[in-house]
Amino acid sequence: MNKSFLNISVIAGLLIAITTFADDPVPLKTELPKPLFVGTPVPIENVPNLETPRKGKRPDFLVPAGTINLAKGKKVTASDSEPVIGTLDLITDGDKGGDEGSWVELGPGRQWVQIDLERNANIYAVMVWHYHAQARVYFDVVVQVSNDPKFEKGVTTIFDDTNGSGKDRAYLETYQGKLMDAKGVQGRYIRLFSNGNTTSKLNHYIEVEVFGKSAA
Amino acid sequence: MQNAETKARQVTGKPLSHSSFIIRQSAFVFIALLALAVRLPQLGERPMHTDESINAYLAGELLAGEKYHYDPKDRHGPALMELTLPIVRVEGAKEFSDLTERRLRLVPVLVGSATVLLFGAAIEIFGFIPSLVAALLFAFAPLPVYYHRYFIHETMFVAATFGLILSGWRALQKKSAMIAAFSGGCAALMLACKETAALHFVAIGLAIAISWRLRRAGKVPTFKIWLAGGLGFLITAILLFTWAGQNWPEPADWFRAISNFTARAGGEGHEKPVWYYLVLLAGGWSGVAILSLAALGCVRATRNPAAAAKSVIAFYALLILVIYSAIPYKTPWLALNFWLPISLLAGFAIEWSWLTTVKPAIRALIIIFCAGLGLLITHDTWQRVFLHWAEKKNPYAYAHTSEDLLRLPVRLKELARQNKTPNPRIAVVAADPWPLPWYLRKFSTVGFWQPDQETGDADFFITTTEVSGKLAERLKDFRPEFFEIRPNVFMQLWSPPKMDIRHE
Repeated sequence: MNKSFLNISVIAGLLIAITTFADDPVPLKTELPKPLFVGTPVPIENVPNLETPRKGKRPDFLVPAGTINLAKGKKVTASDSEPVIGTLDLITDGDKGGDEGSWVELGPGRQWVQIDLERNANIYAVMVWHYHAQARVYFDVVVQVSNDPKFEKGVTTIFDDTNGSGKDRAYLETYQGKLMDAKGVQGRYIRLFSNGNTTSKLNHYIEVEVFGKSAA
Repeated sequence: MQNAETKARQVTGKPLSHSSFIIRQSAFVFIALLALAVRLPQLGERPMHTDESINAYLAGELLAGEKYHYDPKDRHGPALMELTLPIVRVEGAKEFSDLTERRLRLVPVLVGSATVLLFGAAIEIFGFIPSLVAALLFAFAPLPVYYHRYFIHETMFVAATFGLILSGWRALQKKSAMIAAFSGGCAALMLACKETAALHFVAIGLAIAISWRLRRAGKVPTFKIWLAGGLGFLITAILLFTWAGQNWPEPADWFRAISNFTARAGGEGHEKPVWYYLVLLAGGWSGVAILSLAALGCVRATRNPAAAAKSVIAFYALLILVIYSAIPYKTPWLALNFWLPISLLAGFAIEWSWLTTVKPAIRALIIIFCAGLGLLITHDTWQRVFLHWAEKKNPYAYAHTSEDLLRLPVRLKELARQNKTPNPRIAVVAADPWPLPWYLRKFSTVGFWQPDQETGDADFFITTTEVSGKLAERLKDFRPEFFEIRPNVFMQLWSPPKMDIRHE
């Protein structure tokens, strides 16, 4: 009697012990990825008149009701008709991702791209994404609107950060893109210039959106 | 002119009494202590540069018990770590999070201050006045003071270079195998600091050869000296690179190191014009005066057939300036390599000027010039080391971490407290996250992902300005705050969407 009681007690004790230990929470050990080593960072400097980036989301920009992106799917031409990487239609395809395959690369030096809105429009804002997979600044960005496809007459400049003569400040590319106030200017064609960037002499475009309404 | 050189030889060659020796050495100890005093204030307040933070991270890994392995890519040799570990352990550090800017930077500060003492050992070779002037320039000029407070390899490298020059010269003069072995050890220490040691070996060798050729005389090392030097080099290199025999590097790594550093020499974004170093050294209020003195000292040293050691320094200075200037890859801290010969050459010039004349008026003018130069140096050191240490206008602050980034860990703690997550999970998504691993070292759950990788769950995300694909979708309701990581380079801290964000 005593012996079997002892056996039962020992087994019960062991079970309690096993259960107790089995239920004890243990910290979950996770192996988080370590940082990869890099070399000395390359400084981004000597960009005159660079604007201080906004700390937070862009404040709302007000436009008349019914304003839409008129550039979506429209034909794009460029000073470099044979881009190094990508095709010109990527500029108005609606894809604003920074991944490879979303952007077009134009040759070195001053280059332009031009969007044909197909009809005269009141333009309230232009948004530009050059590149945002790396912190960089594009030089001498100029955006103009005209009804002349050759931009020889009736040209209105809505943004100009040309070094030394531009009225606007150079800016750092981010995924939020750059919003340019077009103040309702009328025109059918939008031409955007750039002149290389802080990393290379090449020019890139991910997307351009032109917000406006067809002119009556 | 010849009269002045003869006097110089008389001054430098004259045997010293014991008391004179003690007094002269005490002067160098005093200057070294002053150098230490100048390097210590506000040591922990300048933000950590990316290169410093990578070295700090490596020190943290070793503190955590990981074994050292020579990595030919971006890590240089093990010497800095081998000196750092015992020092930070004495300071009480047990893991990465225990490390502080002050604890780590104390290592180069001590080495840099100790290097000043080596000028006391240089009296026998270069004379008292040049050694004294060089020690003063090394102790107080802005360039060495700035980079002696940087947790990178250069300070130790220059100390080892000076050790090699002093002991190598002495080994040749005294034909001492023991001193030759020591100089071999110094050469190995240079290599264990930075692979660029090879450039200096070439420059020193050529400088000696040119000096001998011009003087048509020289003490060719005997086989015994070569053997002792070679053995000293080999044994020290093995001890240092294998972490005292614990981890042997892969022989293939040496070849990888050569290809890596050859590729890097091409520039990798750090290309600068050939005159970059000269412009950098000539900067500030004192730069032109010091460079002019060095140029004068260089001319005197190369023209004087009796001053062999001085002419070696002059040719060494010219050669490394040419070599480093010819390489497209340039960073300002590499100019520290020039400061050793420049300070000695400036010392030669002051000595020559002093001994050329005995007229009290001219000597008074020299004293006034030196005092004026001291004031200019004080101004430059104050401006560059203590006033504008991380600002773009400071040419030494190269791609430096911005002070704005210091807000990031503070803000994270604040948000974690508001979010009631005492141990927040932080996902950093960036191709180049540095120096964030340093600034997030107090948080225990931090992962680092590349932009194209799937991240784990996290309470907070930190990204560069690039946000695309799935991550952009994931963060569309998060709230971003910008932090400047370096001039014109930004990071974003993304806070959870449902969080009530307050600025405390």
